[in-house]
Amino acid sequence: MNAAPAIQVDRLTRRFGRLVAVDDVSFAVAPGQVVGFLGPNGAGKSTTVRTLMGFLHPTAGSCRVLGVWPGRDVGVRGRIGYLPGDFRIEAGMRPSDLFAWFARVRGVPVRWGNELAERLDLDVSRPFGTLSKGNRQKVGLVQAFLHRPEVVVLDEPSTGLDPGSQRELLGLVRAAAARGAAVLFSSHVLPEVERVADRVAVLRDGRLIAFSPVGDLLDHARHRLELSFTEPVSADVLQGVPGVVGVQADGRRLDVVVDGPVGPALAAATASGDLLRVAPIGDELEDLFFAEAER
Amino acid sequence: MNAVLVPAIRRRRVGLLGWSLGLLALVALVAVSYPAVRGNAELDRTFAQMSPAVRSLLGLGAGAALTSPAGYLNSQFFANLLPVMLLIFGIGGGAWAIAGDEAAGMLELLLANPVSRPHVAVARFTAVAVMICGLAVVTLAALLAAREPAGLGQVTPMHLTAAVAATAAMALVYSALAFAVGAGGGARATALATAGGAAVVGFVLEGLGQAVAALRPLRDLMPWHWLLAADPLVHGASWRALGLPLAVTVVLCAAGTVAFVRRDLR
Repeated sequence: MNAAPAIQVDRLTRRFGRLVAVDDVSFAVAPGQVVGFLGPNGAGKSTTVRTLMGFLHPTAGSCRVLGVWPGRDVGVRGRIGYLPGDFRIEAGMRPSDLFAWFARVRGVPVRWGNELAERLDLDVSRPFGTLSKGNRQKVGLVQAFLHRPEVVVLDEPSTGLDPGSQRELLGLVRAAAARGAAVLFSSHVLPEVERVADRVAVLRDGRLIAFSPVGDLLDHARHRLELSFTEPVSADVLQGVPGVVGVQADGRRLDVVVDGPVGPALAAATASGDLLRVAPIGDELEDLFFAEAER
Repeated sequence: MNAVLVPAIRRRRVGLLGWSLGLLALVALVAVSYPAVRGNAELDRTFAQMSPAVRSLLGLGAGAALTSPAGYLNSQFFANLLPVMLLIFGIGGGAWAIAGDEAAGMLELLLANPVSRPHVAVARFTAVAVMICGLAVVTLAALLAAREPAGLGQVTPMHLTAAVAATAAMALVYSALAFAVGAGGGARATALATAGGAAVVGFVLEGLGQAVAALRPLRDLMPWHWLLAADPLVHGASWRALGLPLAVTVVLCAAGTVAFVRRDLR
């Protein structure tokens, strides 16, 4: 990272009365870099993002986008693309009107919005209220990307998107990073972040518990798997296998928790009987966070 | 200003059209009814016997007869229908300007753009004020057109203009109050309740103030009193009917804007 960070969060703390929503959080995003911002709901991701955008005032510390705080520096906001966590506009408004309005405010050609909407296969002439949940989220994505911003801040962008649209979202993020944009991508789901991020910042109870390259995190990630066999099995077959931190047997199924690589556990399971199926349980993130917090 | 003000008005253009048609219909109804009231001396006697409090609430100041053009217009339109219509529109608009859009998610989205908070606050209240003035202009145009045909020619165009303008000015005060409560961080319901409640209290005090001398100092602070006591339809424009409410409106708008700049968004 030679370039000066495009997003710099420095010892940021934000309290609401007695509640500490964000506690001494620091991280940075360089131009061309995608940082996944992970954490369970209520961990303080949205509070961090909304303070970064200038909607909330920091209690202590600072956050800067391109060297300034958007709450004070109005001009820098034209260089940021922002998708709020609960994107919605009024039901009667047509996406085309929103795109034209925001394009004018940000000083870019009005057609940019509609071109992007076309790529995402979004009908811009239907009132927002008549759109499906996925299409509403696409409206939010288009307004965030339409001015080709230098900094992109997305709060839970994949909410409501079907797998196809999710791929398009990741494509948008990659393309933005490829042309030099810094992207902060918040999510409570690890797999999508894993596919697009260079680094991951993990937030839990307002504290940053990890800020590392995405590969490091996966090496240490805790996985929960359900293994199905043709015959009933005992939990003993996986006892003492490297990485296995918990096993529960239930007839022909084993519920296994693994820290780090899952290879040894799968090898032991294969050796002990006819392994039919391996399925991840949940999105693993809660477990992952516990693992990180314990370290 | 263009970035915020014009889209704000555009977004309410359908509602604005509905309100305009409603006001036109009201003016037409009031105008076509006058010939039937004009010759009815019985009505005059009935109303003359009413208490000063009731007569004051009806906009029938000292000695005004219900069947006179000014007495009729005041009692049937300027002391009740028009202010209530403009108040409902104005308070609703004032609460919408910040609090309503904040709850709808639009405010945060707008403020992610290169527009400042003072700009957004002032432009959005200005949009509401422009719409109130627009409704006032539509009303005035209809009244001026109906004046001669309805036999209300005794009331001069100047006085009609003053009366409509003063009513709009009073609505602006309560609209600015709803705006300021929302801009200061109040929810939309709080903004509506505060401004609506203040308007109702002002109206009630206007009636009680006639009978209860102790309430008069309080009554004199109410924009309703500035309007009804100044009686612009009879006396024309005055500082109390126009200057005072506009000054209070500006102060409320400024206070709301200052509070909005300092606070967190919800």
